[in-house]
Amino acid sequence: MAKITYIEFDGSEHVVNVEPGCTLMQGAKDNNIPGILADCGGCCICGTCHVYIEPAWRARLATRTEIEKATIEFSTDVEPHSRLACQIKITEELDGLIVRMPESQ
Amino acid sequence: MNAVNDSGCHWDPYDPKYFSNPYPAWARLREEAPLYYNKQYDFYAVSRYEDVERGLFDRDTFISGRGGILEIIKQNVPIPPGVFIFEDPPLHTMHRSLLTRVFTPKKMNALEPQIRAFCAKALDPLVEGGRFNFIDDLGAEMPLRVIGMLLGIPEEDLKSVQARVNENLRTEPGKAGDYSDHSFVGEGYEEYLDWRVKNPSDDLMTELLNVEFTDETGTNRKLTRDEILIFINIIAGAGNETTNRLIGWTGKVLAEHPDQRRQIYENRALIPQAIEELLRFEPPGPSVGRYVAKDTEFHGQKVPAGSAILCLVGSANRDERKFVNGETFDIHRARVPHLTFGYGFHSCLGNALARIEGRIALDELLNRFPEWDVDLDNAYLSSTSTVRGWETLPAYTPKAGKASVHAAAPVAEAAAAPGGESWKMTLKTPMGPQDMVMSITRDGNSFSGRIESPMGSENVTGGKIDGDTLSWTMEVTKPAKIKLSFEVKVDGDNMTGNAKLGMFGKAALTGHRV
Repeated sequence: MAKITYIEFDGSEHVVNVEPGCTLMQGAKDNNIPGILADCGGCCICGTCHVYIEPAWRARLATRTEIEKATIEFSTDVEPHSRLACQIKITEELDGLIVRMPESQ
Repeated sequence: MNAVNDSGCHWDPYDPKYFSNPYPAWARLREEAPLYYNKQYDFYAVSRYEDVERGLFDRDTFISGRGGILEIIKQNVPIPPGVFIFEDPPLHTMHRSLLTRVFTPKKMNALEPQIRAFCAKALDPLVEGGRFNFIDDLGAEMPLRVIGMLLGIPEEDLKSVQARVNENLRTEPGKAGDYSDHSFVGEGYEEYLDWRVKNPSDDLMTELLNVEFTDETGTNRKLTRDEILIFINIIAGAGNETTNRLIGWTGKVLAEHPDQRRQIYENRALIPQAIEELLRFEPPGPSVGRYVAKDTEFHGQKVPAGSAILCLVGSANRDERKFVNGETFDIHRARVPHLTFGYGFHSCLGNALARIEGRIALDELLNRFPEWDVDLDNAYLSSTSTVRGWETLPAYTPKAGKASVHAAAPVAEAAAAPGGESWKMTLKTPMGPQDMVMSITRDGNSFSGRIESPMGSENVTGGKIDGDTLSWTMEVTKPAKIKLSFEVKVDGDNMTGNAKLGMFGKAALTGHRV
């Protein structure tokens, strides 16, 4: 299990255990964490699972794929460390990962 | 093994038999011919989820630049730059990223109050009577008005825009569409564009006029007039047709699953997952075509470069390998992404808009009609190469009951007026046989009169008599504004011939004197 911290825009923190193999998006949906819509269910076509990766973790994630780069254009308030949660596979190495949500999806 | 259809399963995208219910044929394809080859039309088809996903995602092998519709690929139709749905990188990347910025979920969700108002305007007058039509009253109205609002097309012009889109898309049953003279440029949108140049607003048209980007040559520029017209043409077409079909399927499928409809009625929080399940179960665009740019393989069988391949999204969405009880409609099923909006780089730009429109339409329907039945005897599916859905779908509340007098009721036989003659005729149209009665009076080599049909009463114009041949024209406004040109041969008390139905091809006609 990997401990993941999701922080809503208003600062509310949700610390949950996510099974390796799941995506960061599924981890949020399975635990009913608000702020991640994931309308398309993980097809990387809607851009509504946008999160910001905390500085310490940025270098530890694989870089965005071409499709993620294309789809993240749908998201609002995109920053260099913005990611789509459906494209991040949880591994044991990501135990302790902290992500923040944008104001809206 | 190289013959991929040796098991004997068959599917024909143009055969109305499959069109009305393709699912049993697709289920067989998934099991017996996961790579299917259709000899008659020379195309391949994949039907399993993982194969469809690969077909949509691997854009180096399965390219879009030759079109995404089987006929366009086969007929090698030239596609001008700007038709982003039929482009490959680098042009596609550039055009698409421009439009993603315009169609963000946030912007689309902000349209909610207007979408609700359009639904209310369409549905409120029908509440008392308890009879409504999912397509005519809502599906053909609300999405059109939303896209009109986005593009800044005046309300009074919307219907003619819709008619043009319909003519562009529709095909004759049983046949491949003819795209040889297809125009991708948005003819008829020029005046709105020119007006917007002078009168900027906060709409999509203005945004397209102002957007700056770096093109494939590295030049920083704005979109050209032609590019904008093509974009608008595609967006207007997509916005009109697809959500319309989603609304139709919502009406049909929920009428057949009243228990689930009641659950949604009582708990509106179920609406988003209900719409996802409707999108999975009956996708408005059930197949997507690609051109095979290099030799590839599915299940150990070769697909040569130069082939056309169809990705059967409607089949993938019911693949048991991915969806437990895939052939069952279940709004509570575990969430597995359907492929209705595609997958990868060409996935639907309008998916956020379609979702918000579908959700609001269902909510507003339930607010007014908690229960309904559909009148399938008087409904019909439209036939196009790209979308599958209801062209008209009458419905009624339990209290109102089925309409007793309906458009499809037989026309009463009318006796001929003195000095005139009367003919009862049947026209085999794409929407089924239509009965009509023509009453005419001859005057030398010409004749005049009227035709009574379920579509209304229309004047016969340009009636000509040439020996035993009669020819005339007639204009109808329903189901679309088209001009019908008739030519028949009279043999005693019988007539046979045909009518050209505007852009919709020819229909056979038979008749007898009454």
